[in-house]
Amino acid sequence: MIEITDLRKIYRMGNVEVRALDGVTLTIEKGEFLGIMGPSGSGKSTLLHMLGLLDLPTSGRIVIDDMDISRFTDYEKTMFRLYKLGYVFQDYALVPDLTVMENVSLPAMLRKDRTEEQTKKDSFSILQKIGLCDRRDHLPRELSGGQQQRVSLARAMVNKPDILFADEPCANLDTENSRVVLELFKEINESMHQTIVMVSHEDWHKEYFHRIVRMRDGRIVSDGINDAPKTTA
Amino acid sequence: MGQKELKVAFLLALRSLQRGSRSSTLLTILIIGMCFTNMIFLPSMFSGIGQSITQQLIDYEVSNVLVSPKSGEQYITDLDATLDLINGMPGVQRASPQYSKGATFKYRQRLLGVSVRAISPMDEKEVSPVYTKMVAGSYLGEGDTGEIIIGKPIAGDASVRQEDEFQPSLGGVRVGDSVTVEFGNGYTKDYRVKGIYLTGWSPVDNAAFVTRTDMELVEGTTLDKANYITVRAKPGYSEQFIKNELLAYGVGVNGNVQTMTDLLSKSVGKVLQSFAIINAVSLVVSVIITTVVLFIVITIKTLNSRKQIGVLKAIGVDKEVIMHNYGFQVIILGILGIILGIIITLALAAYMSVHPIVTPEWSAYLYLTPMDLVINSVILFCAAAVAGYVPAYQVSREEIQNAMRA
Ligand SMILES: Nc1ncnc2c1ncn2[C@@H]1O[C@H](COP(=O)(O)OP(=O)(O)OP(=O)(O)O)[C@@H](O)[C@H]1O
Ligand SMILES: [Mg+2]
Repeated sequence: MIEITDLRKIYRMGNVEVRALDGVTLTIEKGEFLGIMGPSGSGKSTLLHMLGLLDLPTSGRIVIDDMDISRFTDYEKTMFRLYKLGYVFQDYALVPDLTVMENVSLPAMLRKDRTEEQTKKDSFSILQKIGLCDRRDHLPRELSGGQQQRVSLARAMVNKPDILFADEPCANLDTENSRVVLELFKEINESMHQTIVMVSHEDWHKEYFHRIVRMRDGRIVSDGINDAPKTTA
Repeated sequence: MGQKELKVAFLLALRSLQRGSRSSTLLTILIIGMCFTNMIFLPSMFSGIGQSITQQLIDYEVSNVLVSPKSGEQYITDLDATLDLINGMPGVQRASPQYSKGATFKYRQRLLGVSVRAISPMDEKEVSPVYTKMVAGSYLGEGDTGEIIIGKPIAGDASVRQEDEFQPSLGGVRVGDSVTVEFGNGYTKDYRVKGIYLTGWSPVDNAAFVTRTDMELVEGTTLDKANYITVRAKPGYSEQFIKNELLAYGVGVNGNVQTMTDLLSKSVGKVLQSFAIINAVSLVVSVIITTVVLFIVITIKTLNSRKQIGVLKAIGVDKEVIMHNYGFQVIILGILGIILGIIITLALAAYMSVHPIVTPEWSAYLYLTPMDLVINSVILFCAAAVAGYVPAYQVSREEIQNAMRA
């Protein structure tokens, strides 16, 4: 469970103050597939960065699984990201010099509770799930955008994190590839009960979300359960 | 830092070198290799020159210990007793007395001033290797009279015209020829040239040798004196030991006793000092170039991958892993560069041992000890590590947000 209380992020540039987040209060339940939508500049990415421990809020509180993350040291944050969170970026952000397999196993290799055997097995099975097993020895640049995004998802998933963050994972993909990726998210959410928080501004994506939070100017303007989420075809 | 972290850092480093820009990796290795070579080449060449000069001084001038006249005197007197004393001491291979006299050589139309050295061939052979350097004829025998051996530059070359000669010579004397020698005291006599030698040590090559027996005829008296005595140590005995012994047995009463090292520190020592300065400069320059190049290479690498670094941190890779990733890259580049440098240096050393740079005073080869290679490797390695870890440390501390926005 993620509890966000009166979260603010203010960027100051000279005399100009940008309130990227202007008092966001929100609770995200375990296993939810939450969509954050809203116009450009409304603070979606900023919110996701705060939740992913990638940036510090100006004020407010974030509690994840009863832990106040503002109290974490730098190292604890790193470990929290490694053990609890997964992150999928808009531009895939794979390590260009590592193969698909190496990219996917990287986070697992760092886990103290994983043997080498298990890392291999986990990476393999997640690659199977995204259907890129036969490409495991390829470099990212040899894959299409959709394939790269699937690899990025696999990398985020290999440690079976409790929470998966995705910031516009389909922004660089065509509709067809977007669907493939979104289906994967949905499947993961359904089969593994992962909490997924996804930012998107494509209206049709909302059919995948259980709940949709809409933002504008750093505030939440609507928050509602999606009555008719798409079910597995 | 656990083992897993180091393993991941090493994997990242290795892959970046393997799959990153091949040419920049190879060039970096080449530069480090050249810096290593530069760092070690001059010093070991100087040390080779130093060794060669030292060896020639030992072989042709002073041997291990030199006994020279007391200050103010021209000769060591009471020679026979002194020689017996020295030769009887443990650790002394042989003492050889040297007596020289200025003379004018006449051959056909040529005249040449030459210093004639009188030696006892048996003794001299144990002290100096001139007898192994004969290019024609043979060395002097004990008790030879009327026979002389001369250096190649004095003998000259008949095929070179006088005006083209590099230094004046007798214009092509051959073994068996007769040379007229007029000594400083007016004594004149014809000598048969018994042998011609070439040592590469010009003071000896520009001299001539006769036996002491012969010199007694020239002087018209028994020769119980010498300009100096060269003393060769037996293998395993130190110069200092022999010097102390000689002094203890009173040789110091008759003459000055100096070791090769004493003499060296007076003359060649100055030269070696200036070599040391040049060596230090070449070392510092190499270290600075290596440091700067690696610093730039790693800085560019980190700047180019700031976003990737941010992403790695975002997915839970610790900053230490990121720092060691670049650190390992530098270490790998450094090691490969040093290996290349060692190969180049050894190849140069092998080449120069076959084709040394030869001048009249010295021949230069590379004098390399394994210790030189180790020390230089360590110095360069440390420079490389510092050069790499500084930017690596800086970039690994950057805020994720700033890095990812890059
Ligand atoms: N580092 C920063 N410095 C200054 N202002 C920033 C910074 N990051 C974000 N902002 C500002 O904060 C506001 C929210 O930005 P954010 O990236 O969260 O928007 P977004 O909803 O993700 O937009 P988009 O849909 O275009 O991605 C914007 O006005 C943006 O200009
Ligand atoms: Mg955004």
